Amino acid sequence: LDLNLPPTGVFAIISAVYWTDEMRKTLAAAIDRIIPEDDYLGAFAAEAGDYIERILAGDLKHRASGFAEGLASLDAEANARFGQGFALLTAANQDTILSAVESGVVTTVWQTAPREFFRLLLELTAEGYYSDPGSGGNRGGVSWKMVGFDPKT
Amino acid sequence: MIEAEYDVIVVGAGAGGAIAAALLAEAGKSVLLLERGRWMGYADVGRDHLRNQRLPRYGHNLGPPIEGHPRVFVSPSGEERQVRPHEEGYHNNAAAVGGATVVYGAQAWRFVPLDFRMASTYGVPEGSSLADWPLSYEELEPVYERAEWEIGVCGDGRQSRLLGQRGRGYPMPPVPDNPERKLLGEAAGGLGWEAGPVPLAINSVPYGGRPACIRCGVCIGFACPTDSKNGTQNTMVPRALATGRCTLVTDAMAERIETDDGGRVIGVTFFVAEDGQPKRKSARARAIVVSCGAIESARLLLNSASPNHPRGLGNEFDQVGRHLQGHYYPGALGFFEQETYDGNGPGVSIATWQFNHGNTGIIGGAMLANEFIKTPIQFWHRAWPPGMPRWGLVAKRFMRDNYRRLVHVQGPVQEIPSPDARVTLDPRVRDKFGIPVARLSGTTHPETVRTSLFMRGKAEQWLRAAGAKTIYSGAIGLRLSAGQHQAGTCRMGSDPNKSVTDSWGCVHGHDNLLVMDGSLHVTNGGFNPALTIMALAFRCAERLAKDL
Repeated sequence: LDLNLPPTGVFAIISAVYWTDEMRKTLAAAIDRIIPEDDYLGAFAAEAGDYIERILAGDLKHRASGFAEGLASLDAEANARFGQGFALLTAANQDTILSAVESGVVTTVWQTAPREFFRLLLELTAEGYYSDPGSGGNRGGVSWKMVGFDPKT
Repeated sequence: MIEAEYDVIVVGAGAGGAIAAALLAEAGKSVLLLERGRWMGYADVGRDHLRNQRLPRYGHNLGPPIEGHPRVFVSPSGEERQVRPHEEGYHNNAAAVGGATVVYGAQAWRFVPLDFRMASTYGVPEGSSLADWPLSYEELEPVYERAEWEIGVCGDGRQSRLLGQRGRGYPMPPVPDNPERKLLGEAAGGLGWEAGPVPLAINSVPYGGRPACIRCGVCIGFACPTDSKNGTQNTMVPRALATGRCTLVTDAMAERIETDDGGRVIGVTFFVAEDGQPKRKSARARAIVVSCGAIESARLLLNSASPNHPRGLGNEFDQVGRHLQGHYYPGALGFFEQETYDGNGPGVSIATWQFNHGNTGIIGGAMLANEFIKTPIQFWHRAWPPGMPRWGLVAKRFMRDNYRRLVHVQGPVQEIPSPDARVTLDPRVRDKFGIPVARLSGTTHPETVRTSLFMRGKAEQWLRAAGAKTIYSGAIGLRLSAGQHQAGTCRMGSDPNKSVTDSWGCVHGHDNLLVMDGSLHVTNGGFNPALTIMALAFRCAERLAKDL
């Protein structure tokens, strides 16, 4: 079984993920540290979270369960180090956790490789913020206005 | 309706095959034009920034479909893996009516005279298969001109000591100036480098019954919203069909070229979709033209083995599929204080051809040009300076402050071919039709890396002279090169032991089997190869139409 290929049949069903409110809160908090709000929308308000749910149910279905495990581990890591779930931490503490995950230096046991999870989180957030609104994120083309990309058509 | 017999069957309606079909049909021949892809208009191609030829994160906007059409890639260390069309190692070339010309950037360069004489100019490096072409720039000049006028190219048409002599200018003036052309033009002047507008198969003014470019900025990797980019899908295919003598069949995948008991080529067996199911068909013809791109053309010839041709057609001397090459693209990113992007496409606007040849101690060289406008997500992936934080407010601010301040200069290095960079048939993996797939292995010759490092230095020098405040460039290593500029797998030559076709694209030992695509290129020039593919198709198809 090649894990890099999208699953088919029974494997596709096994890898589908049910998104709980807790997962969504963790995801929202994490992507808003990847691309925070300033005078332009942050990643969550720009619907990068919707993009991520959508891509993990589609082209990246085979990575959905690993991603869900990563979100759970992010919460567990936050609890272990700061006594609260990730979404409830201060921005500075959230950044501390994310930096630790990015460099792979974690204190809890992760079911999924922390650095790989971070890379996926980072790339999907960027895709949900900077790619075309038709892909499900970049609400109203907010990032394109910010950078000055005006495709005319 | 597919007939039992045609004068000619052309396999592949891309840059080469569509020209062959048009010229033959216009000369009164009946033509069956088989294309594995489909008609892909602007709406079909779409504007998906994550699924396109420039950033194929999850797929492509043209064929082949990502499932059912694998290849096998063998890494330099011998590790092999099965890859899909949008994955690294596949070396995809878009499948559609018009081939990759539907979505290309449309740089329409001629090769220069020395490009045809690489071996006699530089000698043959140990381990390389560097060779001269069996024809000269002067012989191609009239068909370069034909391609420029019949496809439609804009440019300034200057005469230059460094470029080949031109019989005539371009049919259209260059696309308008942009800030990058001014910046880099002045810098080149100061350095004493010859530079000028990039020739593009884009309508700078209305041409061919289609309007001028609106400068939308989403050009390369996508179809044109105003049909102002000239490929074969909006020039030569319509010409072929207008004769009433060309039958175009899309979704048609060639399986093999058939030969008779004497070994003579007689027809093609192919699959078409009928009621959603692949159905095997065959048709006969007096001549067959293979125009599938360098990887798939080699695959088709190799898949056409028969008792008379046990190693595949044209492969008696084990040459089909070898010398696979493309273009290394060394370059550098320069960030400027001022905005360098004014919101107008296509972006690419100025090039220098100062370093295509004449570089002391270096074999060949490259043209350098500024890049097309990057989509924002492509910028995020490809233009990130080393050491710059990847996330947080600093990263967001970097995007905001620099998207319009980047000048990316790069260019296609004339590669030094290796006989070991090659296409063979994978002994196990088959596509959805059951046809053995291409297996890609080997690397380019180390001299390609040396030339690339030299050109990277020139890109940095140009950006520095233009006033870039910071300049970055990437590492360059030895690897297989092919991609959208794939070439060389059925090289032309006069010696049948060392080449696959003669200088008219005719496969040695066959008078009715021809190749017309980048496979013919002995070397691939230090320029984008599309116009040379087109010029060769004009030359070879014109001759075939006379002979047949």
